[in-house]
Amino acid sequence: MPQVSVTPESFEMVFYDAAVIGEVISEVAERLGVEETITLEIDEGSPLGRSKITSYDPIELWVDGGALENTQRPRQFGEARSRDTIGRLLLRILDRRSGRFNETPADDELDLMQFAAWDVHCVGRLERLGIGGQRQRRLYQFRNRHGFTDVADAAFEQLWDSSELSWTEIERISEDCRTV
Amino acid sequence: MRKIFPAEELARDSRFIRQTNEQRLGDPRGARVAGGNTSERLAKLTPDLANGPDRARALMHGIFVGEIQALEGAGRTCWDFEVGEDVPLELKLDMARQCWDEARHCEISVSLAEHMGTELGEFAENGLLYEAACNPDPVLRLTGVNRALEGLAIDVFNTMKEFGNMAGDPVLEFCEDWMLADEVTHVKMGSDWLRRLTENDKERLDKALEFQKVVDRLFSFNGFRGEDDDSPIQLTRRFRELAGFSDDEIDEIADMSREARVEAAS
Repeated sequence: MPQVSVTPESFEMVFYDAAVIGEVISEVAERLGVEETITLEIDEGSPLGRSKITSYDPIELWVDGGALENTQRPRQFGEARSRDTIGRLLLRILDRRSGRFNETPADDELDLMQFAAWDVHCVGRLERLGIGGQRQRRLYQFRNRHGFTDVADAAFEQLWDSSELSWTEIERISEDCRTV
Repeated sequence: MRKIFPAEELARDSRFIRQTNEQRLGDPRGARVAGGNTSERLAKLTPDLANGPDRARALMHGIFVGEIQALEGAGRTCWDFEVGEDVPLELKLDMARQCWDEARHCEISVSLAEHMGTELGEFAENGLLYEAACNPDPVLRLTGVNRALEGLAIDVFNTMKEFGNMAGDPVLEFCEDWMLADEVTHVKMGSDWLRRLTENDKERLDKALEFQKVVDRLFSFNGFRGEDDDSPIQLTRRFRELAGFSDDEIDEIADMSREARVEAAS
């Protein structure tokens, strides 16, 4: 199992347990084939759901506390949501390391459409691994970025169902929706 | 069947988790509001925001549970008061009609949740709307629910309708538009009954308007509902006029929101 370092070690504003979070991340990482050490920094004061990769090598992740929260029970840890958040970040790291994503702009240069398209491709794969899901939620986000059209829906299917797209293919699928 | 049914005993299946007002307001990160949180600098809800679609989902779920409680509240108002002694029959007929509307809104909201990828019960439920519907005075009850909360619903539905329009989502846009039309009617009912039942009772009118202010204030966290361009929820002046609000009353709500915003910023 990969080593996971969680910061902070204890929480004041939410009822999270760093050890439990570490176990969940470690399990997701193992299932994705990530073996190296992962560092996760949590901003417990933020109930928002943002997340980002601050370093690809070594792996360092940053999330709002809300990105790990159980939406039914505010301030409580949400395992399913955490798997989704961490799974997406780790898959993006694996994608960039695969050689298929050499053309990908830096994360902070990606626009909302590109992020939405890549996320769909990530979450589709996570669902097949039994890690994430919420297909309709992702479709709704994708439609908000690419249009409520049959073309956008077909693009979504392609991104969701494919197992190994390259960045060039993801961008082309996303671009094709913009021209409708 | 007992009268004035307590909020904590409302029937919900295991999908729904209730969050009390104490829990909500006691969250050190700020209270949840408008699909976002008071601690963030809440911008106007638009699809262009990175978290726009998710905020819309959360807000829509809040609307859904609000519809359930509005149905329960209007239903209780039909039962809790005696014709002649407490209220005229026509008031009960209005509440029965409102039940019909709210039940339809529940069904529309369930379909919208499916459309937006939200599971029923995915977000915590707050019971404040129904709690306002427990007031033992029918005038205060209708003022708190129909004028304050359904008035807020007008603003929320209009914001969601605009969100659907901007996103190019005809399903959301039309559903919100239809529900908005009903909400204007519900608020108008509240305004009409407030005036009719307090025609010769200034003291009761004042108490009812004060109760409305209390409820309005409870829903004015950080002034999230206002007339400024960047207000997360836009105060909808025109629809409020149609619903029987005077210009002074609308100005007062706008001022209350502005003050809450300044207070939050400081």
